Amino acid sequence: MVKGALWKKAFQDMRKSKAQFISIFVMAALAIGMLTGLDSLYRTVDTHSSNLYSATNLSDLWVTVSNPSEKDLWRIGRIAGVEQVEKRFSINAETNLPGEPTLHVYALESRSTLDQPDLQAGRFGKRSGAVLDATFAKAHGLGLGDSVSVKLNGRWLELPIEGLALSGEQIYSLKNSTTMTPDPNTYGFVVIRADALSGIYGQAVFNQISVKTAANADLSSVVRQADEAIGDRLIGIVARDDSVSASNVISLAQQFKTLSNVFPALFFLVAALITQSTMVRLVENQRSQIGLLKALGYSRRTILWHYTSYGVFVGLAGAAAGLLLGKEGFARILLPQVNLVFPDYKIYVDWGHFLAASILLLLCTGGISLYSCRRLLDDTPAVLLRGKPSKSGNHIFLERMSALWNKIKFSNKLIARNTLKNKSRIIMSTIGVMGCTGVIVAALSINDMITGISGQIYQDTFSYDHKVLVDTSKTDSRYLNNLELDGVTQQVQETAVEVICPDGRQKMEPLTITPRESPLIHLKTVDGASVSIPENGILMTRKLCETLGVQPGDSIRLKRSNQGYVTVPVVQSAYMASGQGMYMTDTYWKSLNQTFQPTALLIKWNSAPDETFLSSDTVEDFTTREEQEAGFSDNTQIMALAISLLIAMGAALAFAVLYNCGILNYSERVRDLATLRVLGFHQEEIRNLVLLENYFSVLFGLIFGVPTGWLIAQTVAVGLDKQMDLSAGISPQVVLIAGAVTLLFAWITNQAVAKKMKNLDMLEALKSVE
Amino acid sequence: MEFITFEQVEREYRVGDAVIKALNGIDFHFGRGTFNVVLGQSGAGKTTLLNLLGGMDSPTAGKIVVNGHEVSGMSERELTDYRRTQIGFVFQFYNLVPNLTALENVQLAEEICPDPLNACEMLQRVGLGERMNNFPSQMSGGEQQRVSIARALAKNPQIVLCDEPTGALDSETGRKVLRLIRDVANDLGKTVIIVTHNAPIAEMAQTVLHMRDGAISQIETHEHPKDVEEIEW
Repeated sequence: MVKGALWKKAFQDMRKSKAQFISIFVMAALAIGMLTGLDSLYRTVDTHSSNLYSATNLSDLWVTVSNPSEKDLWRIGRIAGVEQVEKRFSINAETNLPGEPTLHVYALESRSTLDQPDLQAGRFGKRSGAVLDATFAKAHGLGLGDSVSVKLNGRWLELPIEGLALSGEQIYSLKNSTTMTPDPNTYGFVVIRADALSGIYGQAVFNQISVKTAANADLSSVVRQADEAIGDRLIGIVARDDSVSASNVISLAQQFKTLSNVFPALFFLVAALITQSTMVRLVENQRSQIGLLKALGYSRRTILWHYTSYGVFVGLAGAAAGLLLGKEGFARILLPQVNLVFPDYKIYVDWGHFLAASILLLLCTGGISLYSCRRLLDDTPAVLLRGKPSKSGNHIFLERMSALWNKIKFSNKLIARNTLKNKSRIIMSTIGVMGCTGVIVAALSINDMITGISGQIYQDTFSYDHKVLVDTSKTDSRYLNNLELDGVTQQVQETAVEVICPDGRQKMEPLTITPRESPLIHLKTVDGASVSIPENGILMTRKLCETLGVQPGDSIRLKRSNQGYVTVPVVQSAYMASGQGMYMTDTYWKSLNQTFQPTALLIKWNSAPDETFLSSDTVEDFTTREEQEAGFSDNTQIMALAISLLIAMGAALAFAVLYNCGILNYSERVRDLATLRVLGFHQEEIRNLVLLENYFSVLFGLIFGVPTGWLIAQTVAVGLDKQMDLSAGISPQVVLIAGAVTLLFAWITNQAVAKKMKNLDMLEALKSVE
Repeated sequence: MEFITFEQVEREYRVGDAVIKALNGIDFHFGRGTFNVVLGQSGAGKTTLLNLLGGMDSPTAGKIVVNGHEVSGMSERELTDYRRTQIGFVFQFYNLVPNLTALENVQLAEEICPDPLNACEMLQRVGLGERMNNFPSQMSGGEQQRVSIARALAKNPQIVLCDEPTGALDSETGRKVLRLIRDVANDLGKTVIIVTHNAPIAEMAQTVLHMRDGAISQIETHEHPKDVEEIEW
């Protein structure tokens, strides 16, 4: 009964200050929503990929070696930490389908258990028959019972489709260096039995050893020992997390994690600030009611909980709404954009993180409420019932500058005093605006940064019209030299080599070998100075230097094919915004006893492209620089979407905070304002008295918002993706746009407050002071 | 010829379906520079009259003319200008802006009025020359009311409207405040209207409107109004 009355009171009180409580609720929902949304995206990508890895029993390493012998398998199998080894054949093959899409062929032994397809339909037989990529099949209208032919070793092999599946290796599937985004129309995979290849190669052939290690195995030590076991015949070792698909999955998940670490913090802060200002005012206004409750015999604890519960309820409601917003809104919108192939798109929420965030939120709302009313409860009922001592005006520091103070108008004096008296309010609104500007500046700068990447790569660094992948079995450097194409050409060999860092770490990293003149690849330092590929050593991109822990002047060891390691000096570093790797001249490569076998030809045409050449059978694939650039932007689309969502939230932040401050400022001074109205102040003069303060916060918020935005952008830049070498810069345009947008939000908010102020009743002035 | 004229002024309020007549067709005149009192119990309609005269409300019927301007029928903006230039208001609870010093509270008039009086002089006139830089919270009720009077007069209005100016003060202080209002208004030639339920105050007025149930029950005129000192309450 007694409890019921207090509940009702709480409900009524909240209704009276609904603008404030709704703002707290909105901030809480946004904070939790953003955190949960981004966090569950990370969690979802991680869970789905782990599930697929275990469903397909995916290997931890693949050791590429031509024709692995039983002895090789035995040697790797006995390395400490290795649980299982198998051999397989892995190669890209042309198909007979319209548009000549490529299929990656995995040929497995009939008794194999590693790297299995995750069957969605049909079966994977022990002998002939093939399991086709389910998304590829869908894109090409193929189903069970159809067949597809692939060209291997110059001969066509027809594969009856017995099953449709997903692969743990092809969650994010890219064909080769000409593609930027997964596209099931042009690329997929097919899994067959190794026996099916005997008709083509005369026997079952293998080129890879799949290695499954124990969960606690030291992967780098396994890699080193596998390398020793195979010796000179080793082509390369790829760990699962370094493979194209897995590393893309990891970096996507990483992006969400980075965003979720940075952005929600602001919203928690603002939720706490609004709660503080609302509750302090509410409790102050209820001073005599608190005295009454105490006089009636309510315990200190009951009263404390009563006022704390306001914050707790709003916090709980906000957390629940945030969960919904994050999971069903944020995550649901963004997940389909990530281009990952999963059996389904169920969203996983990390309940531990959600719980932790909710507790943090409850501290920001309930905790602050408790803190706000604790102070009053120490007074006796008699003191409380007597009413609050009237607020006194204070002289402010500005008055010491009497020359200035005497010149300013009375209304500005009033604004100045009032603002300085309610510091917590202006701090709150300044932080709100700072957050809004910061989020917008960060969002736009990140966007600039990402657009800048494609510009840096596809405009500043590369200047070819076409990148042509050539059939290495039919061409060599001399052949390409003699093509007599009408344009500038540059031969490149793109490969990946085993690298041993100075600290002993062993990794597989991309290496580009090209002539020193390099007319179509223009490498530059971070300051924009041109650098050329050194004659006696390698050039390494800046970010890779950081990742591997080397500097120009250090040396690393490179694995040569069919030969041992060789020590090479890192002579030069260059800046590449995306796509980290090493560069070497063809002459230096040859001096390491290696063959320069170009894999691609870059061409800048003098006139129209030579279509005859492009359609000749020495050309495997080609793409234009524009297509690559477009593909790159498709790839970053999801960031753009996330950024628009962030800007919307920045707007909500500014709106909630400024509206609140405006309303607070207004309702605390209704009596003063009504008096001024009676004295003959016009509506708009009254409005300025209240709302000008908001523009001060906007001004300060803008000033502080820009560095905040930079800080956020920089944090994101560093944590975004290990392939990308980014640093946040803030352009004047970004500042201008963010400033204009923030001002617009502030103006709209002030209009809303002004509308509310129209209801100001002059008769308030005649009422007695409570 | 008359300075303030009310002709058949009515004011109705709608509360749900019910219509409440707060003023039921009242007529009266006040002359320029006179000292007048509107007397009545609460609910008699005196606050409504004050609101109408002060330009804070408009009548539902009838005509109000002040200084040759018809106040009834003015727009919201015109009413604000009317309050700004014609009316000085003294409130029961002083209504000083707490964030402004005494001087600044008076200076406020300078900012909005075309022809204000000097704020310092006005404060000296009400005897607060020494306390100009104090904030309202640092002053007693009587002092605050004197600032309020200075503020009302500094606007240099034609009419000074006082809503229970002594209501929150003890009798001695109230007496001083009333004398101040009369003396200063007299010197400056202002028309004063005091609204009160405190009958003895009426004795110092030239014209007294007695109000009851939204109508004027009696208009009393004094040829020789009493001095404040002579009034007992």
